[in-house]
Amino acid sequence: MMREHGNLIVWPSLIAAGLLAVACSDQPNVNMAPQKPNFWASPPPAQCPTGKWTGGGRIDPTGMRTAANYDNVDEPSPTGDPPPAPDPAPYFTGKFTFGFNVFLATNAANRCFVQKGEIEVNGHPFKVAWHVSIHDGVDSFSGDSVFANVFADNSGRGFCLVVGTADAFMTARVNPGDGRETAQFEVCDNDRGKPQNSRTDAMRWRATPFHSGETGPTGDTGLTYLRGGNIVEHGS
Amino acid sequence: MNGKSMHWVNRLAALGLVVGLVAGLATAGSAQSVGGQAYSTYVNTPLGSSGQSPLAVLPAVTGTDGAEADAEGSALNVAGALSGDFLNSITSGQIGPAEAGAQSTSSAASVNILNGLITADEVVANVMSSAGQSGAVSDAAGSTFTNLTVAGRSLSGDQAVAPNTNVSLPGVGYVVLNEQIPTGDGVTSSGLTVNMIHVYLQSITGGTVDPLTGQVIGGITTTTGEIIVGSATSSVGP
Repeated sequence: MMREHGNLIVWPSLIAAGLLAVACSDQPNVNMAPQKPNFWASPPPAQCPTGKWTGGGRIDPTGMRTAANYDNVDEPSPTGDPPPAPDPAPYFTGKFTFGFNVFLATNAANRCFVQKGEIEVNGHPFKVAWHVSIHDGVDSFSGDSVFANVFADNSGRGFCLVVGTADAFMTARVNPGDGRETAQFEVCDNDRGKPQNSRTDAMRWRATPFHSGETGPTGDTGLTYLRGGNIVEHGS
Repeated sequence: MNGKSMHWVNRLAALGLVVGLVAGLATAGSAQSVGGQAYSTYVNTPLGSSGQSPLAVLPAVTGTDGAEADAEGSALNVAGALSGDFLNSITSGQIGPAEAGAQSTSSAASVNILNGLITADEVVANVMSSAGQSGAVSDAAGSTFTNLTVAGRSLSGDQAVAPNTNVSLPGVGYVVLNEQIPTGDGVTSSGLTVNMIHVYLQSITGGTVDPLTGQVIGGITTTTGEIIVGSATSSVGP
């Protein structure tokens, strides 16, 4: 009787321990089937305070709004920032390659800004390399804050990020020549939680020598689907 | 007897609990890994040498983090071997709750290899690797040549070339266009290196010359150098 009573206590404990061990573990040897990466949950909505965005690749803007690689659906943004391309005119066309990493935060006024970030954009038609570097919330080339905006895109496929909102933009270094130019960067992660080679992510780059002393080409790629690469919002 | 038995089973249960917790905590902390690098040019020939340049290497990424690295170069000239300009390399990578990955791109313009034997207005290497719910994948989409000429044969416009296209360069060696080197199992890991132009310089010692064709028959082929233009690598793994 005592042994039976003991078993009533002990076996549930064993089962609980076993279940707990399984729940807390994804040891590869438990299941002989091919192991999947340890992230099965769909990502929650992107938002500013915890936003981390990284990506890179290539776009080939054509300057034609009817072109198949132009992301008409997601431009303009629901808030109207940025406006429809080209703004500023003309369209940038040709090959653009890029890479970036941006961490977002909110300031005391609850406004979204870039805490740290690096953005590199290469404009191949005119052999110009732009670079934006942001540390401790400050644009290294202007000394100003760089504000950002995260929003669900019009297509419902994902989220977009604008770096350098229209009230302040941001300052990029321009090489060759170590010049400066006012710029804005937009990316859309349109394949969140789905296969990442869908070519539905998009990028837009706007630049113009807006302030005195600035140099560099003027134009706007428009929001253009990636020909290669990937855009990932990974902070949610 | 019964008391002893219960005591033993309780100890076993406690041990199972501890082992389970430790194992669970250990695996929960295991991170995904991402890697990437890119460079525009590399020269290692008897004519001259130049290391991987400009080289961008992805810093270590941990947790739900991300990073970017880039390198800009102006022009390169290794006399008789390679010249080019607008050399740029970018790599970035991220680990998130739903997916992890890396992407790299490199480019070179006004490319001239071995005194015009191979020329291109521009070369772009572009790769990405990603692991998520659907497995792990890599691709080289966006890797193209603009107005490529190899030993007198031209490819006009901006075009991709089939992966691992091998073209003989008589008296010199051979070139592999869009050389792709995959890694990983496609389930939890995947990686890809693309070298858009990879010239293998070769010499032959010994052998005899066929009087009808002028080609060397027999002999020992030795690789004496290599030239790479447009290299990009990305990887993701457990």
